[in-house]
Amino acid sequence: MKNYLNQNPVVLKLTILLLAALFLLPLVVTSPTLMQIFILVILYAYFTSTWNFVGGFAGVLPLGHSAFVGIGAYTSTVLLQTYGLSPWFGMIVGGLLAAIVGVIIGLPTLKLRGAYFALATIAVGEGIRVLFENVKQVGPFKINGPSGISITLTENSFTAFQFDTKAPYYYIILIMLLVVLLLTYYMMNSKIGYYLAAGGEEPEAAEALGIKVSRYKVIAMAISCFLTALGGTFYAQLMLYFYPKSILGLDLSYEIAFIALIGGRGTILGPVLGALLLRPVSELTRIYIGDMLPGLHLVIFGLILIIVMRYYPKGLVVPVKALFNRHIIDRFSKPKRIDESTTTEKAD
Amino acid sequence: MIGIIEALINGILMGSIYGLTAVGLTLIFGVMKVINFAHGSILMVGMFAAYWFVILTGWNPYLAILIVVPLLFYFGYFMQSWVIKPIFEAEKDVREPITVIIVTTGIWYVLDNLALMIFGAEFRVAKTTVTGKIVEFMDMYFLLPKVIGAGITIACGIYLYWFLKHSKMGKAIRATSLDREAASLMGIKQSKIYNIAFGLGSACCGMAACVLVPFYYVYPTVGVPFDIKAFIIVVLGGLGSIPGAILGGVIIGIIENVGAQFMAATWTELLLYAVFLFVLLVKPSGLFGLKQDF
Amino acid sequence: MSLLEVKNVTKKFSGLIAVNDVSLTVEAGQIVGVIGPNGAGKTTLFNCIAGALPPTSGSIIFNGKEIAGKKPYEICQLGVTRTFQVVKPFGSKTVLYNTMVGAFAQTQHLHEAEEKALEVLKFLDLDHKKDVVSKSLTLPERKKLELARALATQPKLLLLDEVMAGLRPSEVTEMLPTIRKINQTGVTIVIVEHIMQAIMNLSEKIYVISFGKKIAEGDPHDVVADEEVIKAYLGEEYVATQH
Repeated sequence: MKNYLNQNPVVLKLTILLLAALFLLPLVVTSPTLMQIFILVILYAYFTSTWNFVGGFAGVLPLGHSAFVGIGAYTSTVLLQTYGLSPWFGMIVGGLLAAIVGVIIGLPTLKLRGAYFALATIAVGEGIRVLFENVKQVGPFKINGPSGISITLTENSFTAFQFDTKAPYYYIILIMLLVVLLLTYYMMNSKIGYYLAAGGEEPEAAEALGIKVSRYKVIAMAISCFLTALGGTFYAQLMLYFYPKSILGLDLSYEIAFIALIGGRGTILGPVLGALLLRPVSELTRIYIGDMLPGLHLVIFGLILIIVMRYYPKGLVVPVKALFNRHIIDRFSKPKRIDESTTTEKAD
Repeated sequence: MIGIIEALINGILMGSIYGLTAVGLTLIFGVMKVINFAHGSILMVGMFAAYWFVILTGWNPYLAILIVVPLLFYFGYFMQSWVIKPIFEAEKDVREPITVIIVTTGIWYVLDNLALMIFGAEFRVAKTTVTGKIVEFMDMYFLLPKVIGAGITIACGIYLYWFLKHSKMGKAIRATSLDREAASLMGIKQSKIYNIAFGLGSACCGMAACVLVPFYYVYPTVGVPFDIKAFIIVVLGGLGSIPGAILGGVIIGIIENVGAQFMAATWTELLLYAVFLFVLLVKPSGLFGLKQDF
Repeated sequence: MSLLEVKNVTKKFSGLIAVNDVSLTVEAGQIVGVIGPNGAGKTTLFNCIAGALPPTSGSIIFNGKEIAGKKPYEICQLGVTRTFQVVKPFGSKTVLYNTMVGAFAQTQHLHEAEEKALEVLKFLDLDHKKDVVSKSLTLPERKKLELARALATQPKLLLLDEVMAGLRPSEVTEMLPTIRKINQTGVTIVIVEHIMQAIMNLSEKIYVISFGKKIAEGDPHDVVADEEVIKAYLGEEYVATQH
């Protein structure tokens, strides 16, 4: 990355500009509805990026990831309501719980082939949802089954993870996203990243080189589940209300997976790109067409998915990068193209 | 006690209908090595077609078979040749055709939500000449359409098995599923076989749909539980095995119905997922599965 | 103590005996060849040693440790690395990336892995292609990459599975000094091969396998003249005509 940035001062300048714009955004946007949309876009970029650890790097197709969103949300909220524990701590507990569940699920299933793993994740995801829908209380914890839990808005403080305005939420999720992206970059350029890439591409060769492929996939799973659950807590604190179908459903799992796939799994920016393109579509169709034609945005998603997979199976990040290279980099600086750190997809 | 036997028989009846759906799925898998995630949605399309047939004509619902089955055959045939084929071809040499799976998932979403948009979310019921009629047998009561449905689906299963074993097309299909390259060297056109396999698989859904409409609710996401059960059955029975699919269907039907005697319906859902995961992890090739490198 | 001792290894596949009570030893620093007609069971034997298949019976001792039945990654971690007859590069990744994957077997750190990988690539004269995506390489280059990757794991024993397969005679001749060079750095090599030129040129000792059984072992020139060996390759009738 350092080499790349040195040779392309343009990209560095653009990145700084972009980051500045992102951080200054709340000062410019006043409408809470608009802010909410931005927050949700970044939240989805967050979810797709954490999904990416398993769906991109481990090379499998998890279609039940909303389970971990739910575990995060329920854990922190239930701890808040039962013990008054600050959601920040609850978040960590939720993350750890999700990681443990993820590892338990992953250990046997990550050895399965593509379609079987996908099916297994659907079964587990739906199973967890059914579980939450049917349980009203676990010990001292009230889960309320299908009606879900709502959080009362009591204060406006950082420790309570509740705010009067949208801006603090925005900054929190933005920072969370940036941290995840940094983590993704770091992982790609570490032993784990190399081993996961190898295991995903040629597992037999990888094993012959000393890599216990399944072990690394499980590690990726644990990281992904932990981070996803953190997002779940954020979602709970943002929306102040959630119920099994909203937070644990196949719909959410699929949406996350689809967006990541359309954007480009296994890359740093792909999932973010997907969220940037598709999330506004979702919000806009909901706002303007919403009740008249329910499900329209999912139809659009599905169609986009099919079309993109047909022409760009590696995701839209590939053509977008090519365009970026051609129009921005070449125009403004010495020709040295974008490489996703160590992967080179040009030869496609 | 009688309740349990009744549940058992209901399980077998419903299970054979599940089984036919699973047969379609297993056929597509056996030939193309692809798991069609859109299978349930195809069933849903068939159910709406049969529903509208009955509503608009008022005729005997089983006559719908004559229209819906061929309709779904072509629906599947063209879905494969227009949408899935180009992606399938691109992935032919890849070990794991994940993109095809992704695309069928996309199709699932498009179909289900289109139906939602067009027809709305209500649960519809078709009032047919057989709806609600009961058959009595040794103090136990069964829905007539269910019994007829089971009979038809078992007959279809047997016919399909015979077809694959003895007819020329059937042999071509089996040849392609065993070794597509060898089959193609023998003059069998691969893409045609895939289209037909997909068409046949969808036709199975069509048959199941017609048989379900007289007694089952029709709504846009009706395909989802059937889809998931079909996956479970197909893994349980063994991917690529028709007897496995039917037997698996019956087992699932029994578990579901007998289980409901002892626990709430939603918990039986959980039980089915548990069975599924158990099979996936312990014996992924299922009861009759082909020796695959799982 | 020999570096590798294969003792009475048998491998059965439901009724078919692919490897029948084969024993062989490899001393540290040697290049040992394993030859035999097609279907003789060489590759199965190879796979048993490499961990791709568990032997039905017998033991395989590497550096004093029993490795029979262990998984390939465990065996690699113990110091035995294999290459594949049908090369399996990580196609979408560069030559350097591929080699680094191998190098990570001995380190946790990116820069160390990179250093080692560059060192190996230089040794094998492949460093000028380090940034090339591996699926664009020619076949001999891919074979070299396969070697580089394996070498980067710093093995004590290198198992080469028909590394010459698919190469033209001129390419084979070019590969020979490379393999010798690797051996000279102290890496013991077992090479399973069809191409006689390579085997005769490289091996200090060869074993001949036919129908799963070891039928000859020893100095290459002696073995090649052995009647049983000729019979195995060319048939009884040929041998009869020579008398």
